[in-house]
Amino acid sequence: MSEREKGGVPDDALIRTTLAGDDAAFGELVERYKGRAFAVAVGIVGDGDDALDVVQDSFIKAYYKLKEFRFGSNFYTWFYRLLVNQSIDRWRKSARSAEVPFDESWLSEDASPPDSFAYPRTPEDLARDRELGDALQRAVDALPEYHRAVIVLREVDGMAYDEIAKVLGCSVGTVMSRLHYARGKLKESLKSQREG
Amino acid sequence: MDCGTAPGKILAKADGLLPREEAAELAGHLAGCPACAAEDAALSATGPLLRALTGIRAMEKAPALDAMWTRVRAGIGESREARRRSSWIARWVWIPATVAVAILALLFYPARTDRSPFHPSSFDVAVEDVESDVATVALVDKGEDLPRVIWIIEDAKS
Repeated sequence: MSEREKGGVPDDALIRTTLAGDDAAFGELVERYKGRAFAVAVGIVGDGDDALDVVQDSFIKAYYKLKEFRFGSNFYTWFYRLLVNQSIDRWRKSARSAEVPFDESWLSEDASPPDSFAYPRTPEDLARDRELGDALQRAVDALPEYHRAVIVLREVDGMAYDEIAKVLGCSVGTVMSRLHYARGKLKESLKSQREG
Repeated sequence: MDCGTAPGKILAKADGLLPREEAAELAGHLAGCPACAAEDAALSATGPLLRALTGIRAMEKAPALDAMWTRVRAGIGESREARRRSSWIARWVWIPATVAVAILALLFYPARTDRSPFHPSSFDVAVEDVESDVATVALVDKGEDLPRVIWIIEDAKS
């Protein structure tokens, strides 16, 4: 949801003010989107420090490309395209991308049912279940990069399918297909971890 | 519904594509099938778990995230300075470049050219035809292959 919908100064107005030479207006855009941007970046690159660098670089790039922004479209959709591309580039350059092979045993279909169906749902609960958190991170890391981007944009940011399609420059059908695949992989990893 | 068809319905439910009547049928199956219920629970947990995981990362990096605008502003400043420097270089670089090209041209032009400098000895002035007081005069470049007429005066008075 853009700030216009929440009743604040519209994004478009902040962009025009920035283009007129007032950098403080761009600072307002940074404050507005840095949290969501970090959540998306860390979901894709996996590491908090790398995600901070990605968010910083994406905002700097957005600042210099701001004159290319088409008024009437969503700033965050436009910005997320930069952000996701920066995140994927960062992921490719990082050593992590080479060190996380996907464990096919997670896809085993003949596992027995778990004793409990309950999974943690808050950061505090998940922090107490470190093994599950690590398993989930490994599963996310093992997803192909665009599948990872799709599930992060959908599940973490709550973006609509058509917005994700705009950010990634693909069709809604492709988004749904990647989401379907990514959910399936994560589900198998959770089941596998829970079943020990 | 059975355990063969339920996994597909569970994924469709997660994608928001399961019709209401099929969702009710699935719920009935899940109530009596622990294996499919586990499948459904794991799939339903992926979203909240991903949000929880990024929430942990955000808490760890909260101080750095609070200072994001300071970082961005500093980065914009550095980038602006770098652009200004490269623009200054681009604006003035033509002067040494032109001087260098001129020096190179002076040094190498005579040696590199295929054209011999003009020298009258390579030309013949021939009187082609003489008739009483009228002559036809031609300036002929002997060249290496065939002679070439450069200039001709026909019926010049002597």
